[in-house]
Amino acid sequence: MSSKETFSQISPSEFFYRNRDLAGFSNPTRSLYTAVREFVENSLDACDQKGILADVHMSIKAVDAEKPDPKQYILTVRDNGPGIESNHVPLAFGTVLYGSKFGLKQARGMFGLGATMAILYGQITTNKPVNVKSSTDGKTQDEYEMLLDIQKNKPVILRHETKEVSKTGLSVSICLEGDYAKAGSKIRDYVYQTSLITPYATITFDDPKGEKYRYTKVIRTMPPSPTVIRPHPHGIDVETIRRMLLDTHYQIPAVDDNMISKVRKELGLANKNLSHSEIMDKTQKKWKTLTRSVRIVMALVSFLKMDFEKLSKTTIEEIDIGNKKLTYWDFGESQSISVDMDPESFYYKQLANTVQGETLTSFLTKRFQRVGPTTALKFAEYAKFKPEHRIGTMTNQELVKLTDGLQSFDDFMAPDPSCLAPLGESPLKKGMERFFEPDFLEVVQRGASAYSGFPFVIEMGIAYGGKISSRGMKVYRFANRIPLLYDEGSDVVLKVVNDTDWSRYKVKGDPPLVIVSHICSTRVPYKTVGKENVADRPEIERELKLALLSLSRKLSSFMSKRGQAEAAIKRKNLYSKYIPLIAQFCTELAGKKKEPNYKKMITEEPIVEKET
Amino acid sequence: MKKKPRKKDSEDKQHTLADLLKKHGAQIYDDLDKGNFPKFSIPSRSVSNIVYDKKIRQYILGANTAVRSSRNTSQLRAFTQLMWLAFFANRLTGQKKSSTLRDVYYSSQAFEVDFEDQSESDNIIVDLEAVLASPRESFHVFPEERSSVFGDLTIEYTVPGYEGKKTNLSDHPDGYAIGPSLTSSEFTETSAEVVIAIEKGGLFTRFVEEQVDKKFKAIIVDTGGQAPRSTRTLLKRLHDELSLPVVILTDGDVYGEHIAMVIKSGSANAAHLRELTVPDAKWVGVWATDIEKYKLPTIPMTESDIKRCHDLLKDPRYQEGIWKKELEVFLKIKRKAELEAFSKYGLTNITDKYLPQKLEIAKSL
Repeated sequence: MSSKETFSQISPSEFFYRNRDLAGFSNPTRSLYTAVREFVENSLDACDQKGILADVHMSIKAVDAEKPDPKQYILTVRDNGPGIESNHVPLAFGTVLYGSKFGLKQARGMFGLGATMAILYGQITTNKPVNVKSSTDGKTQDEYEMLLDIQKNKPVILRHETKEVSKTGLSVSICLEGDYAKAGSKIRDYVYQTSLITPYATITFDDPKGEKYRYTKVIRTMPPSPTVIRPHPHGIDVETIRRMLLDTHYQIPAVDDNMISKVRKELGLANKNLSHSEIMDKTQKKWKTLTRSVRIVMALVSFLKMDFEKLSKTTIEEIDIGNKKLTYWDFGESQSISVDMDPESFYYKQLANTVQGETLTSFLTKRFQRVGPTTALKFAEYAKFKPEHRIGTMTNQELVKLTDGLQSFDDFMAPDPSCLAPLGESPLKKGMERFFEPDFLEVVQRGASAYSGFPFVIEMGIAYGGKISSRGMKVYRFANRIPLLYDEGSDVVLKVVNDTDWSRYKVKGDPPLVIVSHICSTRVPYKTVGKENVADRPEIERELKLALLSLSRKLSSFMSKRGQAEAAIKRKNLYSKYIPLIAQFCTELAGKKKEPNYKKMITEEPIVEKET
Repeated sequence: MKKKPRKKDSEDKQHTLADLLKKHGAQIYDDLDKGNFPKFSIPSRSVSNIVYDKKIRQYILGANTAVRSSRNTSQLRAFTQLMWLAFFANRLTGQKKSSTLRDVYYSSQAFEVDFEDQSESDNIIVDLEAVLASPRESFHVFPEERSSVFGDLTIEYTVPGYEGKKTNLSDHPDGYAIGPSLTSSEFTETSAEVVIAIEKGGLFTRFVEEQVDKKFKAIIVDTGGQAPRSTRTLLKRLHDELSLPVVILTDGDVYGEHIAMVIKSGSANAAHLRELTVPDAKWVGVWATDIEKYKLPTIPMTESDIKRCHDLLKDPRYQEGIWKKELEVFLKIKRKAELEAFSKYGLTNITDKYLPQKLEIAKSL
C-alpha cells in the first residue's frame, strides 16, 4: 500500500516522537498521569495473562524536592508478574511497535505501545535512561539501563547486569518531567479506582510527599481469563477480509530438497528411485494421508510428468487455471516451459481449489465465530454470492460487497463472549465492600450482548450508606478494568443514571449512593481519543438500563425497609418527647394530682411492619 | 332615661369554659392512663367547610371535623401544642390574668412546647377557639390593638384588684380604651338609646367634641378601621344586654361597607365563633348613593377597590338590600368618598346635618 511507504520514511519512534500528544504526553501533568497508567496497566495485564494475583508497587519521587513543579520525577512500577525474557527486554522497552498483545480478546491496553511511549517521553524531557529489571525464573534477574535511538528505532544498552533474586517480576523505572502538584489527585483517583475494580490485586503507591496508599487484595481467586477467538462477521471491514484472504491462500510450494524429502517420506518411498507412473500410483493410494503441501506438489508432478531428480531443478512460475496451463522454469535448459493441464483430471481440480482458495461457505465457517454451514448458505443467498464462489478469485468490488453483506446480515448468532473477562459478581461485591462498607450493596452481571459484532458484558454494583461519605450520587465508571476518570458528563453511563427517576426507588435528596459500572468488550466504543467516555450505542445503553433497573429495584426495597425502621425510631423519639408533656398538661387540666401511667406507651419497642 | 341592663352572668360563662377544659383534660388523662393515644376532633376550618347560615346571618363551619390524634407523628406536635394552650388558658382564666397572642407565643417557651413562630401559635389559638366554640377573649387572650368608647355608660369592673369599682365612660373626653377589663365588666347603668360605631378616630374625637353623645343619647365607639374582636364583643353586649340599636358609619367605599358587614355578620375567618356578631347592626353611611346626593368630593376607585367590589358581589351576604345596591352604585360611579369629605360644608356639617338624617333613615332600615 502506498500510504505505508510514506510512513516508512521515518521510524515508528520518530513518528511517535513527533505525535506524542496523540498518545497522552502533551504536557507534564498529563504525561505523568499517562505514564503511571501505562506501566500499572501493563503490569496488571501481564499478571492477568499468567493467572498471577498481581502485586503492583508504584512510587513517584522528585529528583529535587525543593524545586517547583513541573520538575523531574522518578517513576517506578514493580510487579510480581512473569517478567520478560532477558533477550526480549531491549526490544520490548527500546523499540516502538514491539508488543505481544495482538489478538481478539479483552485486555486493558491494546498493543503495549504506551509503556514505550512513556519511556520515550522520559528520555526526551530528561535525557536519562530507562532502568528495567526482569526475572522470569525467580532465580536470576537481568537489569538493563538503556536509551532509545529515536531515528533508528533501536535500543542503546548502556549497562546490563545479572544478579540472583528470589521472585519473578518486572520493575521499570524512568525519569521524566511531570507536575505532581497538578496530576496528583488524578493519579490518586486512578490508583483508588483501579483497586476498586481489581480486588484480586494489591496495589500500593508512595507519592512524592511521603504519603503511602495501600490497597491490599481482598480476594485470592483470579476471575476466569478470556480466550482468543475468531472474529464475528459483524465486526469486520474490507481490510480485515483482505488480510484473512492472504493467509488463506496456499502458496505454491517451492520444490526444493527439503520439500522433496518430505514428499518421499509421506509417500513412503525411502530412497527408492521409482518411475513417474509408479510414483503416481503410490500417490493415488496414499492421497488421503498426505499433507496439503505434498498433495499440491504431487498434483503438479502429475502434469509435469518428471521424476524427483528433474523436479528439483525446476521452479513453478505460474498456474493459470483459466487457460489450463502450467508454466515452469527449467534451470537445466534455462527456459520457461508451459504444459497443458487436463481439466478433467483429479489433480487439476485439486490445484484449482488451492489457487482459487476455499469456497465462500467453507471460508465463513472456518474463519469466523458462530457461523455454521446452514448460516453460511443463508448468507450466500442473502449477499447474492454462489456458495461455492472461490474467495481467492474475488475482485475488489466483490470484496466490498462481501464485507457489506457480512456487516448487515441479521441472522448471524450473537458474538461469542468467551473473549471477555468480566470481573464477576462476587469479586465486584467484595471490592465495593472494602471501599465503602455500605449498609446496602448489590451487584449484577448481565448476560453477554453485542454491538456491531463486538461482544460486551455489563457489570454493575450499587452501594448505599455506611462509610460512603459523599453527599449525592457518585458514579464510578470502568471499561475493561480501567477507571474512566474524566469527561463523565457525556458518558452513556451517566446518561442512564441521570435518566432514572430515583424518587421512584425511594432515593431522595443527596443520597450517600455509589454506582460502579463496568463495561467489558473487545472494543469499547469510546467517544473521543482520550478514552474517558463511552458512546451511547443503543445496545449498550439498553444493557446498562436493565442492569441499573434490577439493582435499583433491590435498593428500593431496602430503602423502604430502612424507611420503616427509621420512621419507627423517629416515632419513638417523638412519643418520648411529647407524650410526657401531654400527660403533664392534662393532669392539671383534669385537676388530678398524679400523672397518668403513660410510661409503657413510650418504652415499648416500636412496631416495624413485616416484610411483605 | 336609664335602662336596667339584662343580667349577664359572666361568672357562669367562665365556669362553663373551665368545665369544658376539665372535661377534655380528664378524657385525655383517662386515655393516657389506659395506654391509649388520645385524640379529639376539631371542626374543620378549611374553605370547603365554611358555609353561610341564612338564619343566623353569618358564616359558620359545616359538619366536617378533623380528627387530631397523638398517635399520628405528624399531628403529635400540634396536638401537644393544643394541649399546652388548653392548660395555659385554664391557668389564665383560673388566675384571672390576661394575655396577648404574642404573650402566648413567648409563654410556650417555658414549657418545652416549641412554636416555630407566632403564626404557628396563633393558629393553635384558633384551633382552641374552634374546639371550645368560644372566642380567645373568653380564655383571656386579647388582641393588641385597642379601639375606644365614649358615652354615658357606667360599668363595674370584675378584673382582680378592681372588683366592684365603677366608672362612667363619659368621664374622660379621649374615651376609654376597649381592653379586657372593659369588655369583662358588668354594665350597670346607661341613658343611651343608640350606639354609633365609627370607622375613624378623628371623627370619634369630633363626635365627642360636638357632644353627639348628649345630643343623640349615644354611646360612641371608634372601631379603628376593621373592628377588633373585643370591640365587636363590646358592640354585641351593648346590643344584647342593653337592647341598644347599633348604627355604623364608615368611609364611602367598598372597604367601609365591608367593615360594617363584619360587625353585622362576622368574617369567614371567625366562622367557628358565634358570639362576635350584631346581626341587627345597621350601616347608615357613607353610601355610594350619598356621594351623589350630598355632592361629596371624591377620589377615583383603584383597581383593587373594583376587584373587591366584584368579589363581594359573589358573597351571599351581599345579595340583597342596600348591601347589593350600594356595591353596584360604587361600580357604576367608580369613585369613593371619605367621612372627612363632609368638611367641605364645614367641620360640623357631618354631626349637624348628615348624622341626624341618617339616624332617621336607620329607623326604617
